[in-house]
Amino acid sequence: MAKSTKQQLEPQHNPSINLKGTLIAVMLLGVFILATWFGCYYLFLSR
Amino acid sequence: MHLHKFEKVWLIFGMGSLALFLVILGFAAFWKGTHPQSHIETIDPENVEAHDSFKPENLGLREVADGKYIVNIVASAFNYDFGMDADGKPVKKIRVPKGSTVLFQITSKDVVHGFQVAGTNVNMMVEPGHVSRLETEMKNVGEFTVVCNEYCGIAHHQMFATVEVYE
Repeated sequence: MAKSTKQQLEPQHNPSINLKGTLIAVMLLGVFILATWFGCYYLFLSR
Repeated sequence: MHLHKFEKVWLIFGMGSLALFLVILGFAAFWKGTHPQSHIETIDPENVEAHDSFKPENLGLREVADGKYIVNIVASAFNYDFGMDADGKPVKKIRVPKGSTVLFQITSKDVVHGFQVAGTNVNMMVEPGHVSRLETEMKNVGEFTVVCNEYCGIAHHQMFATVEVYE
């Protein structure tokens, strides 16, 4: 019984999991943050 | 530890962004000299006239060198004191040429005020008991409204003045 619980808790290594959508979402957010940040910095430097 | 290839990509992206922002922060702080506007320089708010910069005759705009100006202001509810003009009227508008370097020095007699020259980078808190300073280059021509952006009382919205930058 105890053995089977331990097996369930082991992390699942699944190299075939598809993270393409996650990558696109993360990168869109990252690019948005960088673009707004540099937009504000440009305002600061130009004024 | 197993990491998906994409996870490595966004971890590197995130850490790279953090490193970039820290470099820009260091550049601004140590090279450009960006720092808080209050320099822990204290003043007696009950007697600001004792400070050389805030004597009534020293208030307002003064050219100290070619293209270099100092503006001394005393803020109080609900007024910015820029001194008096030749006719004895309170100054509400100062004019500086484009490209000049202007040092704003301001303190408060009573409560916390704000001092923002809207449309420029001049924006600071004015605290009683402290002297706030900010030096800036007036790069753009125009009329800029000075506003109090810290709520200071019933007539807060009536605290304003004008800075004109001409060619």
